[in-house]
Amino acid sequence: MARRTPAPLLNRPVWFWALVTPFLAGLLVFVYVPLLWSLWLSFYDARNTVTPTDFVGLANYVALLNDRLFVDSMVTFVAFAAFIVPLTFACSLGLALLLQRVTVFRGFFRSVFFIPTAVSYVIAAMVWRMSFFNGARFGLANTLLTDLGQQPVNWLGGENNWYWLVLVSLRLWLQVGFYMILFIAGLNQIDPQLFEAAALDGANGWRRFRYVTFPLLRPTSVAVAMLLLFNAFQAFDEFYNTLITAGGYPPFARPPLVYLYLISFGGGAQDLGIGSAGTMILTLVILVFSLIQNRVLALGGGGQ
Amino acid sequence: MKPSRAGSVLAHLAASVLAVLFLLPFYVIWRNAFSTQQGIVSPQWHWWPDQLDLTTLTAVLGNPRLGVVQALVNSLVVSVVQTLATVVISLMAGYALARWRTPASRLVLGLTVFTLMVPAMVTFVPTFVMVSTLGWISSYRGLIVPVVFSAFATFLFRQAFLDFPRELEESAALDGANTWTTFWRIVVPNTRGTIAAVGTITFIGAWNAFLWPLLIAQDPAMRTVQVVLSQFMTAQGVRYPEMFTGALIAVVPALIVFAFLQRWLVEGVARSGLK
Amino acid sequence: MALTRRTLFTVGGGLAATATLAACGTNTGRTSPAATASAGTTASGPQLAQWYHQYGEDGVEEAVRAWAAEFTDAQIDVNWVLSNYEDALAAALLTPTAPDVFEYANGPTLDMIKAGQVADLTEMLGDAGAEFTPSVLARMTYDNKVWAIPQTVDMQLLYYRPSVLAEAGVQPPTTLAELTEVAQAVATPERGGFYAGQDGGIGVLGLLLMWASGLDEFNEARTEAAFNTSALYATVAQYKALFDSPGMVKAASADWSDASPFINGECALQWGGLWDLPNVTEAFGDDVGVLPFPASGGDPVVPFGAFSACVSAASDHVDVAQDYVRWLWVDSDDKQVEFSDGFGTHIPAKPSLFSRASQVASGPGADAAAFVTDHGRSNALFWTAASGQAYSTALSNCVLNGADPAAEFGAAAQTVDAELARVND
Repeated sequence: MARRTPAPLLNRPVWFWALVTPFLAGLLVFVYVPLLWSLWLSFYDARNTVTPTDFVGLANYVALLNDRLFVDSMVTFVAFAAFIVPLTFACSLGLALLLQRVTVFRGFFRSVFFIPTAVSYVIAAMVWRMSFFNGARFGLANTLLTDLGQQPVNWLGGENNWYWLVLVSLRLWLQVGFYMILFIAGLNQIDPQLFEAAALDGANGWRRFRYVTFPLLRPTSVAVAMLLLFNAFQAFDEFYNTLITAGGYPPFARPPLVYLYLISFGGGAQDLGIGSAGTMILTLVILVFSLIQNRVLALGGGGQ
Repeated sequence: MKPSRAGSVLAHLAASVLAVLFLLPFYVIWRNAFSTQQGIVSPQWHWWPDQLDLTTLTAVLGNPRLGVVQALVNSLVVSVVQTLATVVISLMAGYALARWRTPASRLVLGLTVFTLMVPAMVTFVPTFVMVSTLGWISSYRGLIVPVVFSAFATFLFRQAFLDFPRELEESAALDGANTWTTFWRIVVPNTRGTIAAVGTITFIGAWNAFLWPLLIAQDPAMRTVQVVLSQFMTAQGVRYPEMFTGALIAVVPALIVFAFLQRWLVEGVARSGLK
Repeated sequence: MALTRRTLFTVGGGLAATATLAACGTNTGRTSPAATASAGTTASGPQLAQWYHQYGEDGVEEAVRAWAAEFTDAQIDVNWVLSNYEDALAAALLTPTAPDVFEYANGPTLDMIKAGQVADLTEMLGDAGAEFTPSVLARMTYDNKVWAIPQTVDMQLLYYRPSVLAEAGVQPPTTLAELTEVAQAVATPERGGFYAGQDGGIGVLGLLLMWASGLDEFNEARTEAAFNTSALYATVAQYKALFDSPGMVKAASADWSDASPFINGECALQWGGLWDLPNVTEAFGDDVGVLPFPASGGDPVVPFGAFSACVSAASDHVDVAQDYVRWLWVDSDDKQVEFSDGFGTHIPAKPSLFSRASQVASGPGADAAAFVTDHGRSNALFWTAASGQAYSTALSNCVLNGADPAAEFGAAAQTVDAELARVND
């Protein structure tokens, strides 16, 4: 990018450091110091201590990679990410596009779609598992089913795969509103004259979206896809709060972070070596997949 | 562009149906909060609550052992201070990262984005040990300071500043303003929408935070509302009305903040995008 | 961490200043619970922090705060942790603000002991150890040392109504196969048969299925898993038959730890906690029966657990903290009886107190106390979180999805072997 005649004061590095230092200092102290500390712990046998002395090299990493349950959980959540990222993306973009067509009460609809963002995962999970999808007879879904003459469904019991419907609908309700707002912001950046030009060329709705809207939305799309990917692999709260029972967390729909929590932090254990090693592996997986995703999106946008 | 009439009707219809579905969970929280235990677990689903008075609400708010009112105050202090601090710190950093394209800037941006990939669980215990060693247990400092440095907020601000019109700053600079005054007088007022968006998200996150306040607030007088309300969800008995009354108490303040910031939010994002 | 003490020293001054300010603040406003608790006491000496998890029964918090205020050799600040007790405690034990005294289910974990986080209480307990139920105290003993003092004993059992069984013409079940038949016999369209939690009982009954088959977690030497046998496969197949039968209730208004599904008539038999006995007898009067988990090749079994008082080895006042624990949980019989009997139903940790605890002196409570003596077991100290996850995953896969028990429990046994190698290291 060619700089225009720089206003000299603006580009002095001293201002860069003045503006960025408070954030950078905090980030280093409260994120990077604990992060490096954890990385160090991952090479030790660190049960119930943060100052271990028993160096074990890569043993924690090897133990986890040989742990069938951890590997299964990783594989499940690679598949989950491949499903939930496009779905959330499409739903958020769909809502943003729908709102463009809405002319009456647009502000109201926008608020309604955004407002679930304000609800905590704990409370949302309560509504979903206790009222909507309760396996007992008083759940809303089961009442509707029995009214229609169907058998009630044990939604979260794990005998069937319906728990995915519960988890995905909960997750979408909580999250699409936020990404929708980001898409609305992106759509508003597009010059309306471009749409008019496309319409004059006789482009229909789909072609207009495919050849005008979507390419121009690419910067927003890339950022949203990246955030969604991080989010999918780091899934924890909506799963944990929906599926936890007095008997523990079930072995199905168990995200890697939940499994790590159960064996290294919750459930009375405190194995910081294993926990740290596991999150490092997860971070590496996220890094690899976001590089792949960026590459794919960049290829798709080759004409840009 | 001239959308067809049928298409427009269809769009309004779809939006209305979706709006009902999106609002349904809020209705259910309200219904459960104003029902009796028997009403909720009776064999049939009832749409209308069966105890539409203030019995449960006053019992939860008035119980001195629960300390809900004190907890609401604590949550408000923590959320407001954390939001203000996060917005100011990340706004400056995001602006710097968008304006300067130097190796140093790229490095800081890389450090920022990388932390988004790292699950927060990994830093949890070490951060807690650090904060405890500093003597910040059961203090506002301990609740707030470690969580105000938000890579997410900085990233969102940086994206929003990428297409901030540079001419505005340059003309200010020609008038003799330095970067500091330009930033506060020109840049910040023109970024209200993004500030509202990031502020909303930060406030909601702070208001709904649970595990960190649980560990830090060892003195009952420092507990936040989510910590206090958690006792309805883990006790041996499940009391649905109390639980959902608690949920209602926790959700309503967040909704009020939403309502206030909504106007700026919409107007603001309409102007600045995410790139 | 060499810098710790210095940092602590320097910020300590600032902390003291803010503490004074905070104290001034409270004088003008409401008094905090801690201030109220210490108001009536003549406590001198050091300040100790004591942690409890939140008990579901009303009144426990007030009682333990009042008792803490009675202790004269130290000022005790009670921290009542509202949720995620184990996480919060484990994190706090790593820090300078660790509690001096804390409770933990079945005594400290093996890792806590090995990491030197808890004080050895053997000497403090002395001869008084003989007063406690031997199997309970044994669970708190490792390496011939006692690491915690049992506060009270909790147990789980099967609730049923004799009249309902009589109406259906069946006897109380003594084997898992009989339980399967009884559950179907008593089920009606309105009221289900057997309920053991929202997960179909996998979590709470998992180890019981092993024990009821006459099996143990490990061999004597604790070097390898001992549960992976055909006896377990047969029990799991029997439990799957129960799970798949129309007598099984898989979802209800509350989980197994709350007897409301049984009380509401959602099920005729419920696996539950003894703590709910007052609610159950309030609902059904004399028409309440209790059973241990039925045998399946071995003997009937009930699990017990005991929240127990531990002393932090890092405390600045280990001696005073031990005196406090001795005063409260060894010497003060009255308080122990009230703790067991005053809030829900629990069994005192000393058999000599059974007769003074009204709820276990007679009726179903007395049956429950006898179950613990005759059939009581508790989870093993060497059964780690990873072992538990591996085992319950195998059980869930077999019961819910019909997976092959030999393959599933074989894999779980491998994990358990690896865990044993780690903890024996």
